[in-house]
Amino acid sequence: MSIVEITNISKSFGPVKAVDDVSFNIEQGELFGLLGPNGAGKTTAIRCMLDIFKPDTGSVAILGGAMNEAKKDHIGYMPEDRGLYQDITLERCLNYLGSLKGLSPAQVKQSSEIFLKRFDLTAHKTKKVKELSKGMQQKAQIIATLLHKPDLLIVDEPFSGLDPLNTQLVKDLLREQHQQGVTIILCSHQMNLVEELCERIVLIDHGRTVLYGSLDKIRRRFSGHAVSVQTRDTLPSLPRVERIETINGSFKLHLAPGSQPQEVLRLLVEQNINLDSFKISVPTLDEIFIRVVKNEGEGL
Amino acid sequence: MIKTWRVALHEYQRHVFNRRFLVGLLSVPFMMVVMIGLIFLTISMENKTRAVGYVDRSGLLAQPLPAPPVEKPNKPVEILAYSDEAAANAALQADEIQVYYLLPADYLSAGKLKVVHVQAVQSPARQQFYNFLAVNLLSGLDAQVSNRILSGDEIIVQSVDGSREVSSESSWLGLFIPILAALGFVIAMFTAGGYLMQSVVEEKENRTMEVILTSVSPNQFMAGKIIADVSIGLTQIFAWLVFIIIGIKVGAQSIEILRGIQVSPQVTLLCLVILLPTFIMVSAFMALIGATVSEAREGQQMIGLISLPIWIPYMLIGLIIESPNSPLAVGLSLFPLTSSLTMLIRQGVTIIPAWQIATSALILVASAAGSIWLARRAFRLGMLRYGKRLAWREIFARRGAGL
Repeated sequence: MSIVEITNISKSFGPVKAVDDVSFNIEQGELFGLLGPNGAGKTTAIRCMLDIFKPDTGSVAILGGAMNEAKKDHIGYMPEDRGLYQDITLERCLNYLGSLKGLSPAQVKQSSEIFLKRFDLTAHKTKKVKELSKGMQQKAQIIATLLHKPDLLIVDEPFSGLDPLNTQLVKDLLREQHQQGVTIILCSHQMNLVEELCERIVLIDHGRTVLYGSLDKIRRRFSGHAVSVQTRDTLPSLPRVERIETINGSFKLHLAPGSQPQEVLRLLVEQNINLDSFKISVPTLDEIFIRVVKNEGEGL
Repeated sequence: MIKTWRVALHEYQRHVFNRRFLVGLLSVPFMMVVMIGLIFLTISMENKTRAVGYVDRSGLLAQPLPAPPVEKPNKPVEILAYSDEAAANAALQADEIQVYYLLPADYLSAGKLKVVHVQAVQSPARQQFYNFLAVNLLSGLDAQVSNRILSGDEIIVQSVDGSREVSSESSWLGLFIPILAALGFVIAMFTAGGYLMQSVVEEKENRTMEVILTSVSPNQFMAGKIIADVSIGLTQIFAWLVFIIIGIKVGAQSIEILRGIQVSPQVTLLCLVILLPTFIMVSAFMALIGATVSEAREGQQMIGLISLPIWIPYMLIGLIIESPNSPLAVGLSLFPLTSSLTMLIRQGVTIIPAWQIATSALILVASAAGSIWLARRAFRLGMLRYGKRLAWREIFARRGAGL
């Protein structure tokens, strides 16, 4: 069952088309990656999803239909830029944001105490938000997003400003939420983390969908553009190979467009290269991202 | 609806339980106390208590009645009789008296009085001598008649339909109190409005608005802010009223005139029907400004554009008091931005026809509704525009787009 259905939405601001005919679905309980370079239209798509902006065309269905006030209490949204009141205490800020999600003061207190303890912020709850470090504020923002136990969690760059320890903490928290059945939309530039956490992704560039689907399938589709070779011999220059990269004693051969790994294997055998291993290189999401964004149209 | 109240409560607590608000709250009564203190200090410095002398050749004061009691804060001045001008002059030279009056033999028929002083005599001392003279001039009359002449009359001015009355007894207070109320109201309105505008700009700048709008609708958010704004202003006005009432109660023990201060039901009603919609209208304008500008400083400049017309009645106060029912005064009473001050100034000097109050109130309610509508449009269009100003034409031009 789809918890979010985005169908052909477009949104323009004056002459700028921020989102152009974007469609994707997110299933219930899924950990979904929403990716794109800066200014690609991710945030606008999220704002359309959350009914902050109305799309010019297309439709958005969320939690089984059009957005309404009641549904807002089931959604947790953490924007890329921290959105906390700076001049009040962390405790009061969480109380207010929790109360706007329909929680009673007792429920906010109970929920925030658990998260504050987990994020090691209990000792800082009486400090003004502006007195907290960037990392602490990021953690506070995550707490504010989770206080009301949302069914749908939208987190935009949740790892920004966090050290490796806290990154791990947030990763674990997202996994835990996912295991509890919470649907998560993760927007991040850190492709390794998206790769690690997400099952499916959509990649938006210049407002358009350029990649969409299961991460495995996308990786498979983009594999075959390079092969990894391990040999003690020196590799000669090979036709059908654009570039050879040395990585930790092995070679990564980037194939020319239209070349097949089998052809390269045949050439290596013909040239009597002693191969210790030969395998088709599966591209990382980072590589796919760069490739798709650089050569738009290669996706989908 | 409950979320609107939560927004309102948060905004209210955030601004009211803040040092800046408390300083603002206390500074006005503090300034008033300082001003009143200065007035009293000036009066007491003016109030030379040295005796006043007189030489009576008319025989009127052969067996004088004592001078009538003096109202506080004035102090009684001793009135001394001298047998001849030389004795009075010697006392004046010796600084025993500040002035002496010479009543010639034909005083009763000619009505001429000679006064001799080194420095100009202060008005309280002069008044006390004239009162002393009046008491003795009227000494042959019945006491009740004499008192009536000395006290003067209280004239009650009544409207043609008999619905409203103004007393001459409270004339200067009747003018002063509404003007003071209007001044306090405008200060409170712009102080609270300034908080509202600044908070909207800050929420745009620090991206809090984006988080809030995933919990509440823009309409709930704006309504909560306007309710908070009006409540902050009313808190300020209420606190000032408490200070003023305490001040009057304390002051009335020593100042006679303060005992007679009363706020008529008409003034209270006028405040409710005129000031409340004005406050809501200005609050909505403040939200609108906050939504359209990109930084607080820019917003302050725009507040100036709104506040200028509101102060116009103060600039024209002389004309309004002189001709309170002139077309200018009536016109200003009906124009939404000037009606509140004009109405309160006129209230002190004339009987405002009921139709003008009703029309002005209706125009203000309609203006408040209109400004809320405008603010709501501006809010939806400008709420997430970071660092970019919303043009006014966009508010009117974009029909339905993105709203």
